[in-house]
Amino acid sequence: MLLTGLGLGIALGFAMQRGRFCVTGAFRDLWITGSTRWLTAFLIVIAVQSVGVFALDTAGVITLDPQPFAWVATIIGAFIFGFAIVLAGGCATGTYYRAGEGLVGSWFALIFYALFSAISKTGALSTPVAALRGITLEASTIHGVLGVSPWALVAVLVTGVGLLARHHLRLRSPLPLVSLPARTSGIRHLLFEKKWGAFTTALIIAPLAILAWPLSWATGRESGLGITGPSSNIVNYLVRGDPQLIDWGVYLVIGILLGSFIAAKASGEFRVRLPDVTTTIRSIVGGVLMGVGASLAGGCTIGNGMVDTATFGLQGWVSLVFMIIGTGAATRLFITGSARVGVSPVRVPADR
Amino acid sequence: MAQYTLETDGQVCPFPLVEAGDAIAKLNFGDQLTINFDCTQATDALPRWAAENGYPVTHFDRVGDAQWTITVQKA
Repeated sequence: MLLTGLGLGIALGFAMQRGRFCVTGAFRDLWITGSTRWLTAFLIVIAVQSVGVFALDTAGVITLDPQPFAWVATIIGAFIFGFAIVLAGGCATGTYYRAGEGLVGSWFALIFYALFSAISKTGALSTPVAALRGITLEASTIHGVLGVSPWALVAVLVTGVGLLARHHLRLRSPLPLVSLPARTSGIRHLLFEKKWGAFTTALIIAPLAILAWPLSWATGRESGLGITGPSSNIVNYLVRGDPQLIDWGVYLVIGILLGSFIAAKASGEFRVRLPDVTTTIRSIVGGVLMGVGASLAGGCTIGNGMVDTATFGLQGWVSLVFMIIGTGAATRLFITGSARVGVSPVRVPADR
Repeated sequence: MAQYTLETDGQVCPFPLVEAGDAIAKLNFGDQLTINFDCTQATDALPRWAAENGYPVTHFDRVGDAQWTITVQKA
Protein backbone atom coordinates (compact mmCIF):
# COMPACT_ATOMS: atom_id res chain seq x y z
CA MET A 1 0.00 0.00 0.00
CA LEU A 2 2.92 2.30 0.67
CA LEU A 3 3.76 2.00 -3.02
CA THR A 4 0.66 4.05 -3.90
CA GLY A 5 2.61 6.95 -2.38
CA LEU A 6 5.44 6.35 -4.82
CA GLY A 7 3.03 6.19 -7.78
CA LEU A 8 1.20 9.33 -6.74
CA GLY A 9 4.48 11.11 -6.11
CA ILE A 10 5.75 10.19 -9.58
CA ALA A 11 2.56 11.55 -11.16
CA LEU A 12 2.82 14.72 -9.09
CA GLY A 13 6.50 15.29 -9.84
CA PHE A 14 5.85 14.67 -13.52
CA ALA A 15 2.93 17.15 -13.63
CA MET A 16 4.82 19.81 -11.68
CA GLN A 17 7.91 19.59 -13.89
CA ARG A 18 6.00 19.60 -17.18
CA GLY A 19 3.59 22.28 -16.00
CA ARG A 20 6.35 24.42 -14.46
CA PHE A 21 4.16 24.55 -11.36
CA CYS A 22 6.02 26.74 -8.91
CA VAL A 23 4.37 28.07 -5.78
CA THR A 24 7.35 30.30 -5.02
CA GLY A 25 6.93 31.82 -8.48
CA ALA A 26 3.21 32.30 -7.84
CA PHE A 27 3.89 34.27 -4.64
CA ARG A 28 6.90 36.11 -6.08
CA ASP A 29 5.01 37.26 -9.19
CA LEU A 30 2.63 39.20 -6.93
CA TRP A 31 5.56 41.35 -5.80
CA ILE A 32 7.56 41.51 -9.05
CA THR A 33 4.97 41.88 -11.81
CA GLY A 34 1.69 41.92 -9.89
CA SER A 35 0.52 38.94 -11.94
CA THR A 36 -1.99 36.62 -10.24
CA ARG A 37 -2.01 33.96 -12.99
CA TRP A 38 0.02 31.36 -11.07
CA LEU A 39 -1.62 32.27 -7.76
CA THR A 40 -4.96 31.58 -9.46
CA ALA A 41 -3.67 28.18 -10.60
CA PHE A 42 -2.64 27.49 -7.00
CA LEU A 43 -6.09 28.56 -5.74
CA ILE A 44 -7.72 26.25 -8.32
CA VAL A 45 -5.89 23.32 -6.71
CA ILE A 46 -7.15 24.41 -3.26
CA ALA A 47 -10.74 24.95 -4.44
CA VAL A 48 -11.06 21.67 -6.36
CA GLN A 49 -9.37 19.82 -3.52
CA SER A 50 -11.76 21.32 -0.94
CA VAL A 51 -14.70 19.84 -2.85
CA GLY A 52 -13.03 16.42 -2.86
CA VAL A 53 -11.86 16.50 0.75
CA PHE A 54 -15.24 17.44 2.20
CA ALA A 55 -16.95 14.89 -0.08
CA LEU A 56 -14.59 12.21 1.29
CA ASP A 57 -15.23 13.47 4.84
CA THR A 58 -19.01 13.48 4.34
CA ALA A 59 -18.86 9.99 2.83
CA GLY A 60 -16.87 8.80 5.84
CA VAL A 61 -13.85 7.71 3.82
CA ILE A 62 -11.69 10.06 5.87
CA THR A 63 -12.42 11.91 9.11
CA LEU A 64 -10.99 15.40 9.38
CA ASP A 65 -9.70 16.05 12.88
CA PRO A 66 -8.81 19.73 13.25
CA GLN A 67 -6.13 20.59 15.82
CA PRO A 68 -5.99 23.72 18.01
CA PHE A 69 -4.47 26.63 16.08
CA ALA A 70 -0.82 27.25 17.06
CA TRP A 71 -1.07 30.86 15.96
CA VAL A 72 2.26 32.30 17.14
CA ALA A 73 4.38 29.52 15.63
CA THR A 74 2.32 29.54 12.44
CA ILE A 75 2.76 33.28 11.87
CA ILE A 76 6.51 33.28 12.59
CA GLY A 77 7.16 30.02 10.76
CA ALA A 78 5.16 30.96 7.66
CA PHE A 79 6.96 34.28 7.35
CA ILE A 80 10.35 32.56 7.67
CA PHE A 81 9.30 29.88 5.15
CA GLY A 82 8.01 32.47 2.65
CA PHE A 83 11.28 34.38 2.98
CA ALA A 84 13.33 31.19 2.63
CA ILE A 85 11.74 29.89 -0.57
CA VAL A 86 12.90 32.98 -2.46
CA LEU A 87 16.48 32.28 -1.35
CA ALA A 88 16.20 28.57 -2.13
CA GLY A 89 14.63 29.31 -5.53
CA GLY A 90 11.64 27.04 -4.85
CA CYS A 91 9.28 25.86 -2.15
CA ALA A 92 9.34 22.34 -0.76
CA THR A 93 7.89 20.59 -3.82
CA GLY A 94 9.59 23.08 -6.13
CA THR A 95 12.93 22.19 -4.58
CA TYR A 96 12.20 18.46 -4.96
CA TYR A 97 11.26 18.75 -8.62
CA ARG A 98 14.12 21.09 -9.50
CA ALA A 99 16.47 18.67 -7.82
CA GLY A 100 15.04 16.07 -10.24
CA GLU A 101 15.84 18.43 -13.15
CA GLY A 102 19.49 18.38 -12.14
CA LEU A 103 19.83 21.75 -10.40
CA VAL A 104 22.65 21.31 -7.92
CA GLY A 105 21.53 24.43 -6.04
CA SER A 106 18.25 22.64 -5.34
CA TRP A 107 20.17 19.58 -4.16
CA PHE A 108 21.80 21.78 -1.51
CA ALA A 109 18.49 23.40 -0.60
CA LEU A 110 16.82 19.99 -0.34
CA ILE A 111 19.51 18.48 1.89
CA PHE A 112 19.51 21.43 4.30
CA TYR A 113 15.71 21.66 4.27
CA ALA A 114 15.34 17.97 5.21
CA LEU A 115 18.15 18.20 7.79
CA PHE A 116 16.74 21.28 9.51
CA SER A 117 13.20 19.87 9.42
CA ALA A 118 14.51 16.91 11.39
CA ILE A 119 16.53 19.17 13.72
CA SER A 120 13.45 21.32 14.36
CA LYS A 121 10.95 18.49 14.69
CA THR A 122 12.87 15.86 16.62
CA GLY A 123 16.38 17.23 17.21
CA ALA A 124 18.24 20.06 18.90
CA LEU A 125 15.63 22.72 18.07
CA SER A 126 12.60 20.60 18.93
CA THR A 127 12.14 22.07 22.43
CA PRO A 128 11.74 25.74 21.39
CA VAL A 129 9.68 24.71 18.34
CA ALA A 130 7.34 22.60 20.50
CA ALA A 131 7.10 25.42 23.07
CA LEU A 132 6.04 27.93 20.40
CA ARG A 133 3.61 25.44 18.88
CA GLY A 134 2.18 24.98 22.36
CA ILE A 135 0.71 28.48 22.28
CA THR A 136 -2.69 27.75 20.75
CA LEU A 137 -6.18 29.09 20.25
CA GLU A 138 -9.14 26.81 20.79
CA ALA A 139 -10.36 27.61 17.28
CA SER A 140 -9.03 25.47 14.46
CA THR A 141 -11.11 25.99 11.32
CA ILE A 142 -12.77 28.95 9.60
CA HIS A 143 -16.16 27.23 9.42
CA GLY A 144 -15.82 26.33 13.10
CA VAL A 145 -15.21 29.98 14.02
CA LEU A 146 -18.06 31.21 11.82
CA GLY A 147 -20.35 28.39 12.90
CA VAL A 148 -21.30 27.49 9.32
CA SER A 149 -21.19 24.32 7.27
CA PRO A 150 -17.86 23.82 5.49
CA TRP A 151 -19.87 23.41 2.28
CA ALA A 152 -20.83 27.12 2.48
CA LEU A 153 -17.11 27.96 2.41
CA VAL A 154 -16.52 25.45 -0.40
CA ALA A 155 -19.21 27.24 -2.43
CA VAL A 156 -17.70 30.69 -1.74
CA LEU A 157 -14.17 29.51 -2.59
CA VAL A 158 -15.17 27.69 -5.78
CA THR A 159 -17.18 30.70 -6.99
CA GLY A 160 -14.42 33.18 -6.17
CA VAL A 161 -11.69 31.11 -7.79
CA GLY A 162 -13.93 30.44 -10.80
CA LEU A 163 -14.38 34.19 -11.35
CA LEU A 164 -10.66 34.80 -10.96
CA ALA A 165 -9.89 32.05 -13.48
CA ARG A 166 -12.43 33.48 -15.92
CA HIS A 167 -10.80 36.90 -15.59
CA HIS A 168 -7.42 35.40 -16.52
CA LEU A 169 -8.80 33.35 -19.41
CA ARG A 170 -10.30 36.52 -20.89
CA LEU A 171 -7.06 38.51 -20.69
CA ARG A 172 -5.49 39.12 -24.07
CA SER A 173 -1.90 40.21 -24.45
CA PRO A 174 -0.90 42.57 -27.26
CA LEU A 175 0.92 39.75 -29.05
CA PRO A 176 0.21 35.99 -29.22
CA LEU A 177 2.25 33.66 -27.06
CA VAL A 178 5.13 32.01 -28.92
CA SER A 179 5.90 28.37 -28.21
CA LEU A 180 8.89 26.17 -28.94
CA PRO A 181 8.93 24.50 -32.36
CA ALA A 182 7.38 21.01 -32.22
CA ARG A 183 9.70 18.10 -32.94
CA THR A 184 7.42 15.23 -32.02
CA SER A 185 3.73 14.48 -32.39
CA GLY A 186 0.91 12.54 -30.75
CA ILE A 187 1.10 11.40 -27.16
CA ARG A 188 4.85 12.01 -27.00
CA HIS A 189 4.35 15.65 -27.98
CA LEU A 190 1.53 16.01 -25.45
CA LEU A 191 3.52 14.51 -22.57
CA PHE A 192 7.05 15.67 -23.21
CA GLU A 193 6.97 18.72 -25.42
CA LYS A 194 3.72 20.66 -25.52
CA LYS A 195 3.47 23.56 -23.11
CA TRP A 196 0.98 22.76 -20.36
CA GLY A 197 -1.07 25.77 -19.32
CA ALA A 198 -1.02 26.95 -15.71
CA PHE A 199 -4.69 26.11 -15.19
CA THR A 200 -4.48 22.74 -16.99
CA THR A 201 -1.62 21.80 -14.70
CA ALA A 202 -3.68 22.88 -11.68
CA LEU A 203 -6.57 20.69 -12.85
CA ILE A 204 -4.19 17.72 -13.13
CA ILE A 205 -2.61 18.33 -9.71
CA ALA A 206 -5.94 18.83 -7.88
CA PRO A 207 -7.28 15.25 -8.33
CA LEU A 208 -3.86 13.92 -7.28
CA ALA A 209 -4.10 16.04 -4.12
CA ILE A 210 -7.58 14.63 -3.44
CA LEU A 211 -6.47 11.05 -4.15
CA ALA A 212 -3.61 11.48 -1.68
CA TRP A 213 -6.09 11.61 1.23
CA PRO A 214 -7.67 8.12 0.97
CA LEU A 215 -4.44 6.50 -0.27
CA SER A 216 -2.42 7.89 2.61
CA TRP A 217 -5.27 7.17 5.06
CA ALA A 218 -5.31 3.51 4.04
CA THR A 219 -1.73 3.16 5.27
CA GLY A 220 -2.46 4.77 8.63
CA ARG A 221 -1.02 8.19 7.76
CA GLU A 222 -4.10 10.32 8.35
CA SER A 223 -3.53 13.38 6.18
CA GLY A 224 -3.18 14.55 2.59
CA LEU A 225 -0.10 15.65 0.66
CA GLY A 226 2.77 16.71 2.88
CA ILE A 227 6.46 17.32 2.28
CA THR A 228 8.16 18.52 5.46
CA GLY A 229 7.23 15.61 7.76
CA PRO A 230 8.40 12.98 5.25
CA SER A 231 11.62 14.91 4.56
CA SER A 232 12.34 14.92 8.29
CA ASN A 233 11.49 11.22 8.45
CA ILE A 234 14.04 10.43 5.74
CA VAL A 235 16.80 12.12 7.73
CA ASN A 236 15.74 10.35 10.92
CA TYR A 237 15.61 7.02 9.10
CA LEU A 238 19.04 7.51 7.57
CA VAL A 239 20.52 8.36 10.96
CA ARG A 240 18.65 5.90 13.19
CA GLY A 241 17.79 3.15 10.75
CA ASP A 242 14.27 2.69 12.14
CA PRO A 243 12.16 1.29 9.25
CA GLN A 244 8.97 2.44 11.02
CA LEU A 245 9.83 5.95 9.81
CA ILE A 246 9.35 4.97 6.17
CA ASP A 247 5.70 5.91 5.72
CA TRP A 248 3.47 6.80 2.78
CA GLY A 249 4.80 10.37 2.79
CA VAL A 250 8.40 9.21 2.37
CA TYR A 251 7.39 7.25 -0.73
CA LEU A 252 5.50 10.32 -1.93
CA VAL A 253 8.48 12.70 -1.80
CA ILE A 254 10.82 10.14 -3.36
CA GLY A 255 8.19 9.74 -6.08
CA ILE A 256 8.17 13.50 -6.72
CA LEU A 257 11.92 13.42 -7.23
CA LEU A 258 11.65 10.42 -9.58
CA GLY A 259 8.65 11.78 -11.49
CA SER A 260 10.29 15.11 -12.21
CA PHE A 261 13.51 13.35 -13.25
CA ILE A 262 11.56 11.13 -15.67
CA ALA A 263 9.69 14.15 -17.08
CA ALA A 264 12.84 16.26 -17.40
CA LYS A 265 14.94 13.46 -18.89
CA ALA A 266 12.30 12.45 -21.44
CA SER A 267 11.76 16.03 -22.56
CA GLY A 268 15.45 16.91 -22.84
CA GLU A 269 15.28 19.19 -19.82
CA PHE A 270 17.59 17.30 -17.49
CA ARG A 271 21.11 18.56 -17.08
CA VAL A 272 23.31 18.78 -14.02
CA ARG A 273 23.54 22.53 -13.56
CA LEU A 274 26.06 24.04 -11.16
CA PRO A 275 25.08 27.24 -9.36
CA ASP A 276 27.47 30.15 -8.83
CA VAL A 277 28.77 31.01 -5.34
CA THR A 278 25.94 33.43 -4.48
CA THR A 279 23.24 30.99 -5.59
CA THR A 280 24.90 28.16 -3.64
CA ILE A 281 24.98 30.16 -0.40
CA ARG A 282 21.41 31.34 -0.91
CA SER A 283 20.25 27.77 -1.55
CA ILE A 284 21.84 26.52 1.66
CA VAL A 285 20.55 29.39 3.83
CA GLY A 286 17.15 29.07 2.14
CA GLY A 287 17.05 25.32 2.85
CA VAL A 288 17.93 25.84 6.52
CA LEU A 289 15.25 28.50 7.01
CA MET A 290 12.70 26.40 5.09
CA GLY A 291 13.22 23.51 7.49
CA VAL A 292 12.89 25.69 10.58
CA GLY A 293 9.99 27.73 9.16
CA ALA A 294 7.94 24.77 7.98
CA SER A 295 8.40 22.96 11.29
CA LEU A 296 7.28 26.04 13.24
CA ALA A 297 4.33 26.69 10.94
CA GLY A 298 3.32 23.03 10.93
CA GLY A 299 3.62 22.77 7.16
CA CYS A 300 5.05 24.17 3.95
CA THR A 301 3.44 25.66 0.85
CA ILE A 302 1.86 22.25 0.26
CA GLY A 303 0.95 20.93 3.73
CA ASN A 304 -0.33 24.29 4.95
CA GLY A 305 -0.74 26.40 1.83
CA MET A 306 -2.43 23.88 -0.44
CA VAL A 307 -3.83 21.13 1.82
CA ASP A 308 -4.77 22.67 5.17
CA THR A 309 -6.34 25.59 3.28
CA ALA A 310 -8.57 23.09 1.43
CA THR A 311 -9.90 21.92 4.82
CA PHE A 312 -10.39 25.60 5.79
CA GLY A 313 -7.91 25.30 8.62
CA LEU A 314 -6.93 28.59 10.24
CA GLN A 315 -3.32 27.37 10.19
CA GLY A 316 -3.48 26.96 6.40
CA TRP A 317 -4.94 30.35 5.54
CA VAL A 318 -2.93 32.34 8.10
CA SER A 319 0.15 30.54 6.80
CA LEU A 320 -0.71 31.37 3.21
CA VAL A 321 -0.96 35.10 4.02
CA PHE A 322 2.29 35.20 6.01
CA MET A 323 4.18 33.07 3.48
CA ILE A 324 3.22 35.61 0.79
CA ILE A 325 4.37 38.49 3.05
CA GLY A 326 7.67 36.66 3.72
CA THR A 327 8.13 36.11 0.00
CA GLY A 328 7.53 39.83 -0.57
CA ALA A 329 10.18 40.81 1.99
CA ALA A 330 12.79 38.51 0.43
CA THR A 331 11.85 39.63 -3.09
CA ARG A 332 12.48 43.27 -2.12
CA LEU A 333 15.80 42.39 -0.51
CA PHE A 334 17.22 39.92 -3.00
CA ILE A 335 15.52 40.34 -6.36
CA THR A 336 14.08 43.69 -7.33
CA GLY A 337 16.88 46.20 -7.49
CA SER A 338 19.62 43.69 -6.76
CA ALA A 339 20.21 41.87 -10.00
CA ARG A 340 23.78 40.79 -10.80
CA VAL A 341 26.12 43.76 -10.67
CA GLY A 342 27.47 44.92 -13.98
CA VAL A 343 25.40 42.62 -16.15
CA SER A 344 24.44 44.16 -19.41
CA PRO A 345 23.61 42.78 -22.82
CA VAL A 346 26.59 42.33 -25.09
CA ARG A 347 26.38 43.92 -28.51
CA VAL A 348 26.94 41.52 -31.34
CA PRO A 349 28.89 42.91 -34.35
CA ALA A 350 26.54 43.84 -37.20
CA ASP A 351 28.20 41.61 -39.81
CA ARG A 352 27.34 38.41 -37.92
CA MET B 1 18.81 47.86 -35.46
CA ALA B 2 21.58 46.37 -33.41
CA GLN B 3 21.78 42.86 -32.07
CA TYR B 4 22.46 42.21 -28.37
CA THR B 5 22.97 39.03 -26.35
CA LEU B 6 22.29 38.43 -22.67
CA GLU B 7 23.77 35.29 -21.10
CA THR B 8 21.80 34.10 -18.10
CA ASP B 9 22.92 30.45 -17.92
CA GLY B 10 23.20 29.34 -14.31
CA GLN B 11 20.76 32.02 -13.17
CA VAL B 12 17.64 30.59 -11.57
CA CYS B 13 14.25 32.13 -12.04
CA PRO B 14 13.19 34.88 -11.79
CA PHE B 15 16.63 36.35 -12.56
CA PRO B 16 16.58 35.68 -16.34
CA LEU B 17 13.26 37.55 -16.51
CA VAL B 18 14.39 40.41 -14.26
CA GLU B 19 17.66 40.80 -16.17
CA ALA B 20 15.90 40.64 -19.53
CA GLY B 21 13.62 43.46 -18.39
CA ASP B 22 16.62 45.55 -17.28
CA ALA B 23 18.52 44.79 -20.48
CA ILE B 24 15.77 45.67 -22.91
CA ALA B 25 15.22 48.99 -21.15
CA LYS B 26 18.75 50.02 -22.26
CA LEU B 27 18.18 49.21 -25.95
CA ASN B 28 16.80 51.36 -28.75
CA PHE B 29 13.55 50.62 -30.52
CA GLY B 30 14.09 48.06 -33.26
CA ASP B 31 17.10 46.50 -31.53
CA GLN B 32 17.03 42.75 -31.00
CA LEU B 33 17.87 41.06 -27.72
CA THR B 34 18.84 37.38 -27.56
CA ILE B 35 18.48 35.85 -24.11
CA ASN B 36 20.19 32.51 -23.49
CA PHE B 37 18.86 30.72 -20.43
CA ASP B 38 18.79 27.35 -18.68
CA CYS B 39 16.02 27.89 -16.13
CA THR B 40 13.12 25.64 -17.17
CA GLN B 41 10.49 27.95 -15.75
CA ALA B 42 11.64 30.76 -18.04
CA THR B 43 10.34 28.78 -21.04
CA ASP B 44 6.95 29.86 -19.67
CA ALA B 45 7.87 33.25 -18.21
CA LEU B 46 9.97 34.80 -21.03
CA PRO B 47 7.58 34.25 -24.00
CA ARG B 48 4.73 35.50 -21.82
CA TRP B 49 6.74 38.57 -20.82
CA ALA B 50 7.42 39.27 -24.52
CA ALA B 51 3.77 38.82 -25.51
CA GLU B 52 2.47 40.99 -22.69
CA ASN B 53 4.94 43.78 -23.44
CA GLY B 54 4.34 43.66 -27.17
CA TYR B 55 7.89 42.58 -28.08
CA PRO B 56 7.79 40.35 -31.19
CA VAL B 57 9.67 37.07 -30.74
CA THR B 58 11.86 36.48 -33.78
CA HIS B 59 13.46 33.24 -32.55
CA PHE B 60 12.72 30.74 -29.77
CA ASP B 61 14.31 27.30 -29.64
CA ARG B 62 16.16 24.68 -27.65
CA VAL B 63 19.92 24.79 -27.91
CA GLY B 64 20.64 21.57 -26.03
CA ASP B 65 19.51 19.65 -22.96
CA ALA B 66 17.90 22.19 -20.64
CA GLN B 67 19.23 25.11 -22.66
CA TRP B 68 17.15 27.56 -24.57
CA THR B 69 17.45 30.79 -26.54
CA ILE B 70 14.86 33.44 -27.25
CA THR B 71 15.25 36.59 -29.35
CA VAL B 72 12.86 39.49 -28.94
CA GLN B 73 12.71 42.82 -30.68
CA LYS B 74 12.19 46.01 -28.73
CA ALA B 75 9.04 47.56 -30.12
